[in-house]
Order: sequence, then structure tokens, then C-alpha cells
Amino acid sequence: MTHEIVHRPYPRGRNRNSPRTRAVAIEGRCGEGRRVQALMAAFCAFLVFLFLMFANAAHADEASVRAIISKFADAEGFSQVEKVIDELAATGDPLAVRTLNALNDGKLQVKRGGTVYIEENGKFLDPITGEPVDGADTSGLDKVKIKNSLRRTISAALSGMTLMAKDPAIRSQAASTIFDSSDASQLEALEKALAAETVPSIREQMEEAKASIQLFNSNDPAEVSTALGTIKARGNRAALALLSKYAASADGELKEQADAAISSVEETLSMWEAGQNVWYGISLGSVLFLAAIGLAITFGVMGVINMAHGEMVMLGAYTTFVVQELIRTSAPGLFEYSLLIALPMAFLVAGGVGLLMERSIIRFLYGRPLETLLATWGVSLILQQAVRTIFGPTNREVGNPDWMSGAFTLGEMSLTWNRVWIVCFSLAMFVALQFVLKKTYFGLQMRAVTQNRRMASSMAIRTPWVDAMTFALGSGIAGLAGVALSQIDNVSPNLGQSYIIDSFMVVVFGGVGNLWGTLIGAFTLGIANKFLEPYAGAVLGKILVLVFIILFIQRRPRGLFAQKGRAVEA
Amino acid sequence: MNDVMEKTPATAAGSQHPAQREHKAKFLLYLSGVSVAFDGFKAINNLSLFLEPGEMRAIIGPNGAGKTTMMDIITGKTRPDEGEVFFDGDIDLTKHDEADIANMGIGRKFQKPTVFETLSVEDNILLALAGQRRALPALFYRSNAADMAKIGEILDTVRLSDRRQDLAANLSHGQKQWLEIGMLLAQKPKLLLVDEPVAGMTDSETEETAKLLREIAREQSVVVVEHDMHFVRELGVKVTCLHEGSVLAEGSLDHVSSNQKVIDVYLGR
Amino acid sequence: MIFGHFLKQGLASRYVQVAVLILLAVAVMVPVLNLAVPPGNPFHLPDHWVPLLGKYLCYAMLALALDLVWGFCGILSLGHAAFFALGGYAMGMYLMRQIGSRGVYGNPVLPDFMVFLNYKELPWFWYGFDNFWFAALMVVAVPSLLAFVFGWLAFRSRVAGVYLSIITQAMTYALLLAFFRNDMGFGGNNGLTDFKEIIGFDVSAGSTRLGLFVATALFLIASLVIISSVVASKYGKILVAVRDAEPRTRFIGYRPENVKLFAFVLSAAIAGIAGALYVPQVGIINPGEFAPANSIEVVVWTAVGGRGTLVGPILGAILVNAGKSWFTGVLPEFWLFALGGLFIFVTLFLPKGILGLIGQVKASARARREKRAAEQQVLAE
Repeated sequence: MTHEIVHRPYPRGRNRNSPRTRAVAIEGRCGEGRRVQALMAAFCAFLVFLFLMFANAAHADEASVRAIISKFADAEGFSQVEKVIDELAATGDPLAVRTLNALNDGKLQVKRGGTVYIEENGKFLDPITGEPVDGADTSGLDKVKIKNSLRRTISAALSGMTLMAKDPAIRSQAASTIFDSSDASQLEALEKALAAETVPSIREQMEEAKASIQLFNSNDPAEVSTALGTIKARGNRAALALLSKYAASADGELKEQADAAISSVEETLSMWEAGQNVWYGISLGSVLFLAAIGLAITFGVMGVINMAHGEMVMLGAYTTFVVQELIRTSAPGLFEYSLLIALPMAFLVAGGVGLLMERSIIRFLYGRPLETLLATWGVSLILQQAVRTIFGPTNREVGNPDWMSGAFTLGEMSLTWNRVWIVCFSLAMFVALQFVLKKTYFGLQMRAVTQNRRMASSMAIRTPWVDAMTFALGSGIAGLAGVALSQIDNVSPNLGQSYIIDSFMVVVFGGVGNLWGTLIGAFTLGIANKFLEPYAGAVLGKILVLVFIILFIQRRPRGLFAQKGRAVEA
Repeated sequence: MNDVMEKTPATAAGSQHPAQREHKAKFLLYLSGVSVAFDGFKAINNLSLFLEPGEMRAIIGPNGAGKTTMMDIITGKTRPDEGEVFFDGDIDLTKHDEADIANMGIGRKFQKPTVFETLSVEDNILLALAGQRRALPALFYRSNAADMAKIGEILDTVRLSDRRQDLAANLSHGQKQWLEIGMLLAQKPKLLLVDEPVAGMTDSETEETAKLLREIAREQSVVVVEHDMHFVRELGVKVTCLHEGSVLAEGSLDHVSSNQKVIDVYLGR
Repeated sequence: MIFGHFLKQGLASRYVQVAVLILLAVAVMVPVLNLAVPPGNPFHLPDHWVPLLGKYLCYAMLALALDLVWGFCGILSLGHAAFFALGGYAMGMYLMRQIGSRGVYGNPVLPDFMVFLNYKELPWFWYGFDNFWFAALMVVAVPSLLAFVFGWLAFRSRVAGVYLSIITQAMTYALLLAFFRNDMGFGGNNGLTDFKEIIGFDVSAGSTRLGLFVATALFLIASLVIISSVVASKYGKILVAVRDAEPRTRFIGYRPENVKLFAFVLSAAIAGIAGALYVPQVGIINPGEFAPANSIEVVVWTAVGGRGTLVGPILGAILVNAGKSWFTGVLPEFWLFALGGLFIFVTLFLPKGILGLIGQVKASARARREKRAAEQQVLAE
């Protein structure tokens, strides 16, 4: 009965694992931690470097900027104020931005003798840092008065500091602010900045900002038309907003051109959206894969239905929690490494529980898959309740180290670091497992036992030992998955339950006894799910995927990558 | 192999001359140019085999020669990749499934005795008795004297009358083989496919089985796959030797066993 | 006439005879102990026990239905609670329509949750459920239809063993997700509840509850006799033959897919009836009934009592659920430990369940007796 499960885990012709694959496998397995460490060390060094640079530069400039700012205190009349503004503008130092903004808003308070504060909600702040000043001398303060012509000067000075700032990031930021606001008053400053700009990407941004201004303020149809072209080329959401706004008030040929530009931008955006969906799908697929790959070993290779598989994942997640708690109380400095420490621990904990299960229950049930299913379900109930009793029924907080937090954008897509790492981790696990199964002696023994148990045992392979180790390996891998999943899911006693059905679906869909099937099955289902979601909603999308799998199993009862031949049915 | 190929016209799929159809009609079982591959491995390679009505044929061949796969193809368990399989003249077996083919009159005995272990010997035969095969009428079936008599007759033939009420699970290995043959008889097939009927039997059981099969062959056509040359000699029928999915030699046992190729690949050394 | 013979086959088993007699006795004694024995007397059956016992009998019916497919056909369905819940929903829909304008919102046609969710009119699939007989028909038809379609697809493509188990689990999981959705029109998360009356009787009245209990007991007896008859017929032998050696039945000329399909559909229909009897007694049906864990629990009731014995699963369902009631009252923390332990214990040490154990003890006693008799005979000689 057991052997209705396919026992040739890998199709022929996949044995082309070159030394390259092997190298990746080794790195994937043992080097994962070191690679992260190295990366993080480099990252930290970079941060320190940046900080020192800024600290130095700021130190030198701050004093001179402060000196100029203090001149506001003794400036008499608009012309002298204007002179100080010009002086500040000449430094081009962004440190002055806060002061100028305050001046513009009428919040700059001064007293003769060089005292300058920014007053905000009754608090007196330092004009450069914006920190509240302790024991500020508030008697005899006067507001610096300004008039409209001064406002223009301030705005020009401000744009000079932003659009012409030394830091390219500030210039880029300023250009995109103008792009969004289409503020015509900035046109002059923009053109000046454009003439001076040397970085091509920022030049491009400034051209786009200029186009944005022209679009709404130019009377020259040719200029507007060029502007439309420039904005269309930008092709992001902000461009779409501008174009829609313009199209709403335009007419004639230009409206047609704007509409065409809108549809072109929409097309670009929908491609990015598809890309984003693919990414969500890959991300979900990696989660499914992590949850299922341990099962692919115990179910696919051994033919054992482990309904407690989800609980192994849960144990891995709780191990992460415990490791983090210990670090928090005894060695807070290690927090960034907590996941790397948790990985081997989770492997050992889940693997150990798996080993115990195999030795005490499952080995008596080989050849009776349905009974195994029931007994392991019993184990899953006990493990759930044990965790509930020890850790309580509510979610436990597992923290994300810094390198797992935050997000970055790729074009119009937004990617979170934790998802990126989990995708990498799942692929590394795949490579490592393939390596263990195909290139190690243990893997060879494992495949021998699953293909022909009696022959293997007569060749002096200790089959009970191989069974136990295989089951422990599958469980340990579930534990590793738990570490990864603790970063994106609630760590509660029910964690495993939410994955078990999905995991079975992946293994059954991909084809039993085949890790490639599991990989492709997981990513296919993940992507399919995410593409259905926008049309059908999350729940209905999931139902559709389930129904699809049920129907798929009818057509191909042995999954995507089933082996043919008479051995299969024997 | 060559003389077999010469005897039969090469059958290109699709072209059906009237003469060819007539040719088919002569045979109870007609396999021509059949091939099937599993994962690129050709289990059956351009196999042709013809069985006349009332004929008993023994099939011999080394392990992996394709004997069991050939039976799978005839009984509809495996679909051939190419070639023609006809039964009773004009029934294309590749277009029917196992149950259809069984009901047309092809019975099959597996290599490993397969009986219904938790049912009594009598019930095993009862289920196999020719007749109604639909599920629902079986709900209201009442046992009757005619059926009981038929069962008694068959059990006499397969020498199991005194075990009639015992569970099949409690029979010896040889008795299970006979029970399975008894079930085949109850089906009243036109053609019996028997896979290694004497594997694991004692010498006297083997002799008894040979006798039994000869009795059966008086009324039905039989194809026997067997390794036991002693048993094949006992049967005294035309022999086909398979090797790597095709026919290596065909004729009387003496003719086949003197064939150099057969000695090389099968009878050995 | 034919049918009489059919049922006589089913009643031939000693276990079935005993079980039918006990259940009849229970059907009589529960109302008697509840009504005729005054409160305070130690033999008085408190009112709240009646629906509780009725619930156990519904579970017993579900376990019995599962035993037909698992015990006799080897199909381990991990989705049988889905059929139970569908039957329950059909009954729940009837009960909802009976509320009429007595609901919180007083809408004569729309149930409360629909008013709350801004439904303007009754969805088409709620039509007819104000009629009891239509609802009763649906109680049987809906689970049967699902079982028919699902089974037809699965058995025809020869999905068997654990694969079948897994996709039955996926089936009930998909239904769970579907029924949780508000826009399915089945009350979403909260399900159907606040029932008022059933065929004119107040659902919360003691007499109605007794009536429902007796009806449940009678339906259970009927199901037991029918399934027992099915199993004892020639069809039942084919069913067992398919379980033991499916290829053999195929080569004899049977179509195992049809054989299995009938059992699967019959089993689903009985599970649906059990669900329909369950809902008015517990007063609610919600999507939680579709949870895969529920279906697996049914399997353990069956396994505890003895798979393939029909009477065993009835016993198992009652014992395990009584245990559950006791545990959740006394040691709620430990119920899952106990249930989990039970799963492991039964599969490892009681593969044939309680009835199987009784059978084994009897058989070994008989063997001992025979041995002693033989010895005495030898001595006498």
C-alpha cells in the first residue's frame, strides 16, 4: 500500500548537477548565515562612513550658516533682510532651509544681539536643528516682517538650496516635488538649475518637472505637445495623475494627444502592476514552498502522511520566539543575528520532535497510510495544545531584525525586504535539499530505501535508521520554514493549521516524490492565486484554486510531474 | 522473429483492406505491430501475436520481456502507443476499458494470486459468475439454486468444494491460484489470460494445474505466461518466446528451445 | 417483497439486532424519564440532556454514514462533515424562513442577516425553503448531488487512497471558505440561528425537543438497518471486493467507480439527514461545521467504535462525544490532549476499535474452549 506512492523521487536526466550547482548548494546551506553576516557588516560600515562624512561637513558649515542666520536679528528693514537672505542663498546649504521656511511663514523671532528662534506652537526652536531650546530668552522678541517681493526672494533662495543643492538626492527630491505640484513660480529657478545640472538622471527629472509646469501654463501648443510627450515617457502614477488632470480641461488635438498618452501610461502601469502581482505570487509561492517542502520529503519520498507537519512549522516559529526572548534578556546586541541563531535551533527542535514521532508512532504504521494520517493528526492536536498551554493561546511577538524590515521600490513595484529574503531562503533550501538527496551518501541511502526497501536492507543499509533520519530531516525542514514564516505571519498555536492543507495541495499538485514538482507547483499556485485575487477577491480566489486542484487531480491523479510506467501502479 | 514477420502483412495504421479484415476475422486475438513505451523505455516493441479460436498458447521469455505488459494491453489496462489489437475479429480492444473487455469475454489471472480475501470462497465465485454486472440490481439479488449449482460445479472443477464457506484469506497459496482460475471459469470467457499460474506451487500442484488448464482449453482459448519449462512441456502446446518486447521465436516447445537465439537470451548458457 | 428480503438481510446480524433494540429502548425511555419521572427523583432526565443526547445520536448517524464508505469501501473521506453541514444548512434555511416577521427587523420575507446586509430581495436559491417538504428534499438532494459530482469525477479517474482523502479535505475546506463569505447569502460568519419554530412547533419547547430526539433515534435506526442491508446484499460483497482488490473486480467486469459512487452518495445523503436533525436541536448552523478538523474527528469516532462494524461507529460517536462533554466541563485544557492521545492509541493499539476488540476476545475465548474440549477428548480417549 505504501508503494502506491511513487518511489523514484527524481526523473532521469536531472542528474546534470554540475560542480556549479554543488557550489551553490553548499553556499545555500552553510553559507547562508555567513553571507548575511558579511552583507550586514558591509552595510553597517557604509552607514558609519556616511554618518562621519555628514557629521564633519555639517560641523564646518553649521557655524558659518548660524553666523549668517544671526544677522537677521540686527537686520533693519526689508532691504537688509533681503541681503541676509541672499547671503544664505549664496551658501546653497540646505541647513538654512528650515530658517527660510520659518521666515516665509512669519515664524522667525529675533532679538537684537544675534538671538534667532523659530516659534512654533508657543515653543522656541533652534533655527537650524529645530530642537526646542532650553531656557530660551523669550523677552523682547520681535517677529521678522516680510512682504511679497521678499517672499519671491525667499522662494528663489529655497529652490536654489534644493534644486541646486550639493546633494543629488535633495535635487532629485526637489524636482519631483515640482513635478507633482506643477508650480509655475518655480519655473525660473528650475530652468537655472537645469542649466547647471550635470547628473543625467536628475536632468531628466527636471525636464519632466519643467514639462509639468508647461503643461498647465504654456500657451504654445507645440510646447504643450512636447511636454505631453515628456510626461508620457515618465509613465508612472504621478504622470498619469497630471495627464488626467490636463485631459479633463483640454480640448481638440491636444486632448487627443493627452488621451493617447494616458492610455499609454496606463498600459505601462498595468505592466508594472502585473509585475507586482507576479512578485506577490512569487512571494506567496515561496511561503507555500517552504511550508510544503518538508512534506514533500515525508509524503513524497517516504509515503508518510504527516498531518502534524504544520505543527513542525509552528514549532520552528516558536523556537524563533524563544531564541529572541533569550537574546532580549541576556544579549540584546545579538538581536540582528537572532534569526540566524534560530535556524539551527529550529531545525533541531522540529527534527527532534519528528524523530521522536517516527520512533514512537509512525514506524509501527508503515504501509498503512490512512492510519498514519489519523495518528499524526492526534500528534498535531497534542502539539497544538502543548504550545497553547506553555505559551498561551494568543499571538506571540517575533521581531524583524533590521535587515528584514523596510521596503524598496523597483520601478513602480514595491518590494519588502522580508519577502525578498524569504524568496531567497526558499530557493536556497531547494538547492540544499536537492544536494542532500542527490549528492550525499545519506541521500543515496534514502532513495535506495524508498525504491526498494528489501533490496536496500539486504545491502546492509539500516532501513529503520534511514526512515527515522528521513522523517527527522523532513520535520527539521518544516522547522526552518517556521523561522522564515515567523517573520510574516502571526505566531500562534494555530499557525500550522493554516498551512497544512495548502502544503498538501502543493505536493499533490506538483507530483509526489519530486522536489521540482513541489517547487513549480508552489510557485504556480502562488502566482495563480495572486492573479485571481483582483478579479475574484482573496477568498474566492483561494476557493477557485482549490477547485482547480481538485479538478486537476482528476485529470492527472499523480500531479504535474508524475512518473509513468508500470512500477507506479504496482 | 523474421518468419513471424513474413507471415503477417505489415500493418500500417488506417489502411484496412478487405482482405486484411478477413485475415483478422480468422483469429480470436489479433495483435499487430504493437508498441508501448514507459519513460522512453520500450516495454513492447512492434509485437505481433495471433491466436486462433480454441487455441492454447504458452508464452515464455526472460524477465522484462514484456509478458505482463502485453496482458495489460489486451485487457485494456495499458493503451498501446501504436499497433492494432483486435478481439473476436472486429472488436478494437484499444477503444475499451477493463470492465468492457472483461464483459466481452476476456478473463485474466494475475501473477500474484488476487482474490477477495475477506469474502468466502463461495462469494468469490458468486461475484465472478457471468451475468449482471451493474451495481444497483446487486442490492436486490437473491441467491438461487441455479447459481448455487453453478458455483458447486466450478468449485468441483478447481477442487475447492470442501472449502466453500471458508474465507479466501485462509486458503493456501496454491488454493488461491485455483480459486482465481475458478473465478475466471465463472466468468465464462472466450479467452483466458493466465499469468504464471504455478509460481510457488509444489510439483503435484503444478501437475494438477496443468491438467486443469488442459480441461479448460477444451472449451476456451487460453494464453499462459509461464517460466516453468516443465509445466510448459506438460501443457504440450504452441509456444511463443518474447524478448525485449517482441517475438523471438514461435512454434512447438522443441522447435523454440532449439532456437539458438532463445538459448542465448533465455534458456541460457 | 424484494425490499422485505433486502431488509431481512440487514437484520440478520446479531450486533445490528441488539443495537436496534437498544436504540428503540432509548427512544422510549428518554421521554419517559424526562416527562413521567418527577424532577428530584434520581432517575429524572433533566431537560437540557434531551438535545444533548439528540446531538450525540446525530453524530452517531454521521459516523455510521462514514463507516459505509470507509469501513466497507476503503474510502477515507476527510470531508464528511461537509455533507452533514450542507444538510444542516438546508434545514437551517427552512427554519430561517419560518421566523417570518418575528425577526429583529420584522421583515416578513428576508431573514435578519439579509436585511442587515442590504439585500433587496430573496436570492433565488432561497426560494421554496419556506416549504418543509421542499427543504426536506434539499436536505437529501444537495449533499447527494455534491457527492455524486465529486465522486463521479474522483472515482472515474481512479483517485484513491490518501489522494482521495486529501482532496475530500480540500473540498470541505473550500466550502468552509465559501460559507464564511457574506455575499454567499448563507449568513456568513454567524451562520443561521435564532430559529423560532419547526412545522408549527416552538423549537425551544421541551415537547418539541423530545419529538426531535425520538425522530433522530428513529432515523438512526432506519439508517442502521438500511446500511446494514446494503452491506449484507450482493452489492455489499462487491463493495468489499472493490475495497480488497479493485483491479480484480475490474477484470471480472464490474465498474468499481459506479460501485463506489452509489455508496458515497448514499453515505452523503444519510450524513445530510443527520445534519438536518442536528440543526434544530442545537439551534444554530455556521460555517465552522465545515472545518476540516470536524471531519477528521468523525473518523476517530468511527475508528474508536470499530471501523467496518456499523454498530461500532454509533458506539464510538456517543462515547467520544460524551467524553468531550465531560472533559470540557471538568478539564477544558486537557480535551485536546485526550482527543489527540485517543487518535494515537486507537490506531496503534485498537486498530479494529472497541467492537473489534470484543470480537477478538470472543474469538480467543472460543478458541480456548475448543482447545480445552479437544484436550479433554484426547484425555478421554
